Amino acid sequence: MAHSKLIFISGGVRSGKSAYAESLVRRFGAQRKVYLASGRANDTEMRERIERHRSDREMDGWHTIEQANQFEKVLPLLETGDAVLWDCVTTWLANELYEGWEQGEICAEKIGCMEAKWDRMKKTISQIADRAEVLVIVSNEVLDDFMRDERYMKWLGKIHVWLVQEAVQAFEMENGIAFKRK
Amino acid sequence: MQIVFGGAFNGKRQFVKQQLKVEECSWYEGQCPESISKPAVIAGLEKWVKLQLQNEVSEENIMQHIKKVSQQAASSEQIWILTDMNRGIVPIDPIEREMRDVIGRIYQHLFAEAQQITRIWYGIPQIIKGADHCENLYKNR
Repeated sequence: MAHSKLIFISGGVRSGKSAYAESLVRRFGAQRKVYLASGRANDTEMRERIERHRSDREMDGWHTIEQANQFEKVLPLLETGDAVLWDCVTTWLANELYEGWEQGEICAEKIGCMEAKWDRMKKTISQIADRAEVLVIVSNEVLDDFMRDERYMKWLGKIHVWLVQEAVQAFEMENGIAFKRK
Repeated sequence: MQIVFGGAFNGKRQFVKQQLKVEECSWYEGQCPESISKPAVIAGLEKWVKLQLQNEVSEENIMQHIKKVSQQAASSEQIWILTDMNRGIVPIDPIEREMRDVIGRIYQHLFAEAQQITRIWYGIPQIIKGADHCENLYKNR
């Protein structure tokens, strides 16, 4: 059954999906706008980019929570009535699926590893949506291409189908225009 | 002739299975036999095209073959499940570069032939051709 407070937005790189998601959240006029950032800094440029985005949002009144994986840890940090924006699914999936690469044993290759994480994540998403005024989830369109990483693409497709099913509204962004698909 | 189109892992096959009685239908996965008599689903065409190119079959012959198959849609229903693969970065592998061109042109031919085309976006169908009599933006979105 669709979750009345869940909104899904997906689009290509620079399609305007994040700006649109932010405008949706702003429209709710909640007490607090919370930004869940799941990007992870692997180099200085990335660290600077993340810091720049963070301070830009702070000036705009956003409270940022950085959570690369294990999203259940976000729950105690949220307050009832927060308007929450999670950007984005693709970085979270990469963090979870390839966790353990430093040790040479990634989650994607362990039987049942990603399945367990996804089960937990589905629960967490529902719990966040229950507590929040609105939960807007942003993701990327990367499946209209040749098979690059079949495991990753298969998971992303499965996750997107579930999110669209659960969402009360789903949008596809094309060059700044939001097409309402649900 | 119908086409169900969309990116990988978007739920295209599941949509087709929900739409039709599969037992009455031959399902060709990654195959494209020259003669099709029963109602048929042709899926994974990109795998078949790749195989032809690897076997050095010319684009012209591939196209002729496809046209021969799609002509038979006049007498028995065909559903083609086509994967959108042409919105990515230019591939490094020359076969993949060639494949993009070839499937792009095949898709254009099939799109022109089809009476109805449904695009699937994460399980959500959108009729992009053949909805003229029930064209309704609200329904279609």
